[in-house]
Amino acid sequence: MLFDINAYLGAFALRELRHNDVAGLSAFMERKGIRRALVSAAEAITWKDCHSANRLLSERLAGTDGNIVPCAVINPGYAGWRRDLEEASCGMGMRAVKLYPHWHGYSLGDGCADEVVRAATDLGLPVLIPVRAVDRRQLGWLFDVPDVPLADIAALAGRHPDARFVVLNGLGFTGSPLAAPEGERPSNCWIEISRLPLFISRELPVLLEVLGASRLLFGTGMPFKYPDPVLLKMDKLGASRSETRAICGENAAELLGLA
Amino acid sequence: MRIDAHAHIEPPGRSELNGDPWGRDRLLIDAADALEIDWLCCSCLAPRRPSSPEDFIACNTHLQHAIEAFPGRILGYAYVNPGYQREAVAEIERCVREFGFIGAKLYNEYKFTDPAVRPVIEKCIELDVLILHHAGHTWWPLPGQPNISDAGDFAQVVAEYPELKLICGHIAGGGDWEWTIKALREEPRLLADTSGSVVDEGMIEKAVALMGADRLLFACDMSMTAGVGKILGADITEEQRDAIFSGNIRRLLGGRI
Repeated sequence: MLFDINAYLGAFALRELRHNDVAGLSAFMERKGIRRALVSAAEAITWKDCHSANRLLSERLAGTDGNIVPCAVINPGYAGWRRDLEEASCGMGMRAVKLYPHWHGYSLGDGCADEVVRAATDLGLPVLIPVRAVDRRQLGWLFDVPDVPLADIAALAGRHPDARFVVLNGLGFTGSPLAAPEGERPSNCWIEISRLPLFISRELPVLLEVLGASRLLFGTGMPFKYPDPVLLKMDKLGASRSETRAICGENAAELLGLA
Repeated sequence: MRIDAHAHIEPPGRSELNGDPWGRDRLLIDAADALEIDWLCCSCLAPRRPSSPEDFIACNTHLQHAIEAFPGRILGYAYVNPGYQREAVAEIERCVREFGFIGAKLYNEYKFTDPAVRPVIEKCIELDVLILHHAGHTWWPLPGQPNISDAGDFAQVVAEYPELKLICGHIAGGGDWEWTIKALREEPRLLADTSGSVVDEGMIEKAVALMGADRLLFACDMSMTAGVGKILGADITEEQRDAIFSGNIRRLLGGRI
């Protein structure tokens, strides 16, 4: 059972997305053999009041079969975010919180990042941090948004040992604090695999060995990205059946309280 | 059949891994094996750029050794710095005539519109071989790449040299791919390779719709699953997929493969 931890619905400000309504994404998932997906609103990346996008996502998912699981996007630098978070979690049933620090005008070293992590953890929600929403080279003239440094994520995770973090769209973990030897790295981080090379630099197999399958999560970035490269990686990785089950679904279900 | 139109081998002195003199390049061959890529069209870039003639000659000789080390898997592009006009032209001639290379690889030493590049262009036309050009179009400066060329530059030159067989490198690794595809649409003689780490959904479909499948060449530029996966995942016909995977470059190579 494939559970995609990194999926989206809705419109993105900078380019056309396809398969981005509920019917389209569901059909796309079925074609690609993906059973469930944790989905946030693509609008929330650029809307100032990103909770409006959470509300829109919740409305879109009303009456659906539960295979598309909602994820809130919260901007802790914006007025009223605590109420938004509580509404997203308790009122809309959102199972995780996603942060876009550089799109939303703060850094993970700022106090507001600590506050939102504490609040999410109090609600039992994991915190997802996309290293990037889009390749920086592709951004248009309106934006220049740098990637979130892995060291910032590691430092945040170190300050909040009770919180659970998922790093999305990341690369270059080997040599970072997130893939340091056991005991030296934060023990509360999971890594989504969509950008990890399987071949040549072999970052994916190296992380599988260093961190273990329990810390890796299948994710595609659909419908921003083709899911097929990640599907190909899983097909060629050579992981055991139990490792594959963990990466492709069990870990996500457990993190989101859906096991 | 799958032919990767844009790949690289390691430069001289960097191929060895764990006692295997071609160990690092073997990682590329292993990836190609796993992903059913039959041929890799490779260049060997000098690590120090802009490169000197000594460096690019050494790189191309090293590439020829790699071709011999992995028989039946690698086709060569001669990497040159076109600023050294006499040496660059002579090197392309050597690589094509002596080694059977399929073309030249140009990086970012000069913008393609710079008159300094013309002798290289004219030599490639004379030899009837390809030019694969590093490319990108971004809305913010790329550090260290002040002379990077984009599809608009290529269109300008091809209008002047209609016989030129020019491949715009890595539409998926050179910034704003939508801009690039639209610029490529305007010059129907231009080709493009699909390599790069970017796997934005809809990219291949848009390229096929605006440019036509017969102008697109499958490639990875070392982003292996990204390269293969985006072609496998694209919502195009099997005929178009086959053309992109190998048919188009086979046509360009005149039946050599």
